[in-house]
Amino acid sequence: MEPTLHHWANHVAATSLSMWLVGREWMIVILQSIHIVMLSVVFGCAVVLNLRVLGISARGRPISALVRSLIPWMYGALVVLLITGALQTIAEPLREFVAPAFWAKMTMVLIVFLLTAAFDRAVRRNQDRWDNASSRPRAAALFAVVSLVLWTAIIFCGRFIAYTWNFYA
Amino acid sequence: MTLHMILQTLQNNPLAAAIRGESDPIQLTTWIFPIIETLHVLSIAVVFGSIFLVDVRLLGLSERDSTVSQVSREILPYTWTAFGCAVLTGSLLFMSKADQYFYNLQFELKFLFMFLAGVNMLIFHRGVYRHVLDWDGATRPPLGARVAGGLSIALWIAVIFMGRWIGFTTNA
Repeated sequence: MEPTLHHWANHVAATSLSMWLVGREWMIVILQSIHIVMLSVVFGCAVVLNLRVLGISARGRPISALVRSLIPWMYGALVVLLITGALQTIAEPLREFVAPAFWAKMTMVLIVFLLTAAFDRAVRRNQDRWDNASSRPRAAALFAVVSLVLWTAIIFCGRFIAYTWNFYA
Repeated sequence: MTLHMILQTLQNNPLAAAIRGESDPIQLTTWIFPIIETLHVLSIAVVFGSIFLVDVRLLGLSERDSTVSQVSREILPYTWTAFGCAVLTGSLLFMSKADQYFYNLQFELKFLFMFLAGVNMLIFHRGVYRHVLDWDGATRPPLGARVAGGLSIALWIAVIFMGRWIGFTTNA
């Protein structure tokens, strides 16, 4: 649609890495599969953590213990997600650049990352306050709902890039 | 306008095309498959993400400040709930192209790996997990437990790979 998006896409598509990737469907299968494995780690951790914050899962460790053990896995998986996602974008730049779902996804990834980092810092700085349900900031429940909605929407957008991009190309 | 033309016009309207499942981005039926598929991805994400946390505890890689049985009790309800959702959404996807999937190599391999993951779990529960109280707090669980954890991660990754690969082998 936007000529500039096509322009950028053409530039990326002209790189040797893109040309190497594009003829190899098995590479795309592998990249997408690693991407799904890693998003599973991120989403699984997010579900366990946020449902605990919401008090839906009452049994289990204090929130500070969950934050300490789960959030490092989320960060690690996010790095792999960025790499495999970038490689998929380089392989098929037009498919990503023209799809509104792609830009919506990237925006939400940025927001949920900043939210998670802020949550991580807040809990680590004041563990006792967060572990005790009565003294927990009320914003905690809001954070949990927003981040679950965002992760879900991110996965929806990711899958929907495949089904929508060619209507904009 | 002849009857034939009227019928053609009727048949060519976007709604009719949508009911036939032809690709029209605005119509609802085009979206049913992708929506169920995304719900399937969300389900398997929780299945794998949660079982991964139990497996890394079995491997002694993480969560060492909690016992194995604590982590299992806390996490496995998510795994089973999500597995139920994955079975439900997966069955719906399967129904849509049952004849294609049934004879699809990747689909069959996916079920083989899932079966093996189940066998691995059963062996673990009947074996080393029976004496879990002896090693519950160990930062490095016994070899049998570590093997079970490692195999579980490997087999579920294989399930995800085959699942994604199916999408490249059938006509969309």
